[in-house]
Amino acid sequence: VERTVSRQGTNLMQLVYGKSASKSTTSNDKVKDSEDEQSEDDDFFKPKGEGNKKMSEGLDGDNVNAEDCSKFANHAKLKNWKDEVLIESIRDRFVTGDWSK
Amino acid sequence: MVKTSYMRLKGSQQLRQRLLLSTLSATPVLIEDIRADDTWPGLRPHEVSLLRLLEKISDDCVVEINETGTKLKYKPGVLIGGRHLVHDCGLSRSIGYFLEPLIVLGLFGKKPLLIRLKGITNDSKDPCVDTFRSTTLPMLKRFGVPSEGLELKIESRGSPPQGGGEVVLAVPIIQNSLSSVTWVDEGMVKRIRGVTFSTRVSSQFENTMIHAARGIFNRLLPDVHISTDHKAGLQAGKSPGYGISLVAETTSGCFISADTAVSYARGEDTDALEDEERKELMPPGDIGEQIASILLGEIEQGGVVDSTHQGLLFLLCALCPQDVSKVRVGKLSPCAIETLRHIRDFLGVKFVIKPDPATETVILKCVGCGLKNLSRKIS
Repeated sequence: VERTVSRQGTNLMQLVYGKSASKSTTSNDKVKDSEDEQSEDDDFFKPKGEGNKKMSEGLDGDNVNAEDCSKFANHAKLKNWKDEVLIESIRDRFVTGDWSK
Repeated sequence: MVKTSYMRLKGSQQLRQRLLLSTLSATPVLIEDIRADDTWPGLRPHEVSLLRLLEKISDDCVVEINETGTKLKYKPGVLIGGRHLVHDCGLSRSIGYFLEPLIVLGLFGKKPLLIRLKGITNDSKDPCVDTFRSTTLPMLKRFGVPSEGLELKIESRGSPPQGGGEVVLAVPIIQNSLSSVTWVDEGMVKRIRGVTFSTRVSSQFENTMIHAARGIFNRLLPDVHISTDHKAGLQAGKSPGYGISLVAETTSGCFISADTAVSYARGEDTDALEDEERKELMPPGDIGEQIASILLGEIEQGGVVDSTHQGLLFLLCALCPQDVSKVRVGKLSPCAIETLRHIRDFLGVKFVIKPDPATETVILKCVGCGLKNLSRKIS
């Protein structure tokens, strides 16, 4: 989730460090409950990107005992690098690319 | 006597980073709720082993664990280092798990570190020893670590579940502090190197992996050399396995790596491993293609290091003297984000993180905490 968020160009500082002290212990459900109690008027003032924030908070909460592992390879999302179009898309990252541009 | 005040933390996540930063910043930590709700609560064997390793390389550090292992008190001592050390890393995580914190701790010791580590040299979870040689150690040199005395020797290999590998790690101490970097040019990939290994299986597996990996790279780059390292007899450890580690070297001297290994799963009762059990081993051809694809994925996302090394990169930046360091990485990995948070908590270093939309990379800037090698001065 956090990867996609960073791609969207949201404020990375906020994503990493949070707005204030992290409320990582609040579970997703609790947040939802308190929201239901609030009147609809309050929703009007909800800051943009709240959904994202909630999701990352939820992640943090679950991750208290997350595995300690620096390797991060998403094998499921692996692209098919035999595809000619894909190959051409990163050709300029190699010395064999076209540098006349 | 002054009562020690502990930094209170929760859970088992990022234990290595917490212990590492606790040691470097001389902040005692108290970690609670370590897998408290698990069917098998408390610290895992590799985590206890890591604590024992910390005791080995430092003087006067205090480790207290409660009966169930869900609560840990760690009061760091003075990093000593030293030669002729031996540590059995056990079999629940590979040697790479221990190397990651060890190479940083070693730099701030009183004496250079020379340690023999026994266990699993290659698995799919942690960076393998080959990647440490090809990518991690050159990265340290960027920060002013002398290349003399910085070495990782693979004496024998060990695959899961039985291990049996041995490596010797040498880490020099830094005389004063690291030097800050401005490292934003990732350059272009000029060559790809790599090494395959096989233990207790036919060496032909390696050729198949290489052939498959080359097949992916061929249309991009002619300069691809992957060597083989077939181990036999005692040097092959106790379990069958094979794997591959690749590194792409760029024109600006960056190393982007990817590695993996396959072997039979550990017969352990860890939840995470359950689904891996009884799985057929992935054929070597698929492994070669997979790892080549992962490497291209890493190259595509940009940055001066691969996603595995982001955390280490930030850590080294934060440990620099009070100068500005500037680095470029691809998309931040979850582990790197955790690292950034821990760096803020322990060292008080906050990075300025700015996306660079043109290249879809991220630029990070920080002023180092100015950590000096204090252990050395005491002598």
